[in-house]
Amino acid sequence: MVEKFRAELRSLKGEVVEMGDLALDMLQRAVKALETRDVGAVKSFDRDKKRLADQDHEIEQECLRLIALYQPVAKDLRTIATALKMNTYLYRIGRYGKDIAILVPDLADAPVSSDCLDGIPVMADLVIGMVTDALTAFEREDLSVIDDILAREEEVDALRYDVLRESLSRMVDDPGRITWCTDCIMIARYLERCGDHACKIAEKVHYMVTGERVEIR
Amino acid sequence: MDDSTILETRDLNLWYGPKQALLDISIRIPKNTVTALIGPSGCGKSTLLRCFNRMNDLIDSARITGRILFEGDDIYADHTDVYTIREKIGMVFQKPNPFPKSIYENVAYGPRIHGVRRKEVLDDVVETSLKRAALWEEVEDRLHEPALALSGGQQQRLCIARSLAVEPRVILMDEPCSALDPIATAKIEDLIIRLARDYTVVIVTHNMQQAARVSEYTGFMYMGRLVEFDRTQRIFEDPTEELTENYITGRFG
Repeated sequence: MVEKFRAELRSLKGEVVEMGDLALDMLQRAVKALETRDVGAVKSFDRDKKRLADQDHEIEQECLRLIALYQPVAKDLRTIATALKMNTYLYRIGRYGKDIAILVPDLADAPVSSDCLDGIPVMADLVIGMVTDALTAFEREDLSVIDDILAREEEVDALRYDVLRESLSRMVDDPGRITWCTDCIMIARYLERCGDHACKIAEKVHYMVTGERVEIR
Repeated sequence: MDDSTILETRDLNLWYGPKQALLDISIRIPKNTVTALIGPSGCGKSTLLRCFNRMNDLIDSARITGRILFEGDDIYADHTDVYTIREKIGMVFQKPNPFPKSIYENVAYGPRIHGVRRKEVLDDVVETSLKRAALWEEVEDRLHEPALALSGGQQQRLCIARSLAVEPRVILMDEPCSALDPIATAKIEDLIIRLARDYTVVIVTHNMQQAARVSEYTGFMYMGRLVEFDRTQRIFEDPTEELTENYITGRFG
């Protein structure tokens, strides 16, 4: 029975990592579509969103099944509790990817480089790195890869304010750019939220590994 | 010993003949709580439980060193009366063991031995004890029927009522539900939690979920040692010792 439970717990972790990979892929593709002004990219997100929702549901079901059948304790229980929270965070991250892709057609005619948009790829790189490392920490049960996640989160926040400030002044200067600038503010907000979710995942992974609850922010 | 501790052992060692069964056990049982002792078979948890009311005195080959304190007094001190100790620290066993007498006589037995003769006093003790043991409503109209006609779960609650009748401070329970079905087990578990308002309960159980459900403190024992003692939530969520974690998650051996 213990062997069977171990195998099922490993499989659950695998499912969470797989969901994380999909959420990350959606975020990365959205940022790429934004950079290349690929207005058609958004279409491919419907199928992924459905898959992500299915994974969210499947992981939740699996967690509840393992709790009901095996009454896990200690680190086993913490791992399941972490998976049960992570699926929600990962679903949101994937959804923000789609939300960004939805805005790409609006920005199709925006200048390839503008002060508002310049900060976004930098933010995206940081956030994608944070989510990737939070997932790695979960998979390997290794906290060393996320020990600087707060510093990265603060950098993301600072960049978001840069985008916000820049966009507001552009809107004042040129009302014709209001739509673009609003979209930039939205995208920066979505990326910042993804960074927050990466921090929440990092908190849960910390709890899973050590049994101690920490608040990263 | 502070006020919140009712039972305590200090460097307790116990041997059965040449075999050492308990090694350097120091534990403090908090008053008005449920404390669970868990661990694999032969780890010494029942032996430790039996130390608390000197039940090991009944085993000729048993020898102990160290101290056992009940409300600050050494239970092995010269002036200590072992029967008073067992009155104050009652015990309920794995298999329900009512006397082959009526339900009433089972509960009245202890007070009678302690000299209570008046019927109205005995009636009152029997009713109060059966109510505290959550059995009164099921037996009030058949108090003079044989106790052995009760179901296993009812017999076990009768044994709890019997121990309550002499007004103990502590109730020791040695796997009290292992012979019971899940419904009878649930009733005993509810009862244990209620009893902790007025008494201190120490329970030995093989059922870790039971320990998690009913107790506020849990001690994990292994090979005669107390490996870890902490709040139950801590033990089952984030134990300090790797040995504890390995046991409760089934990674043993």
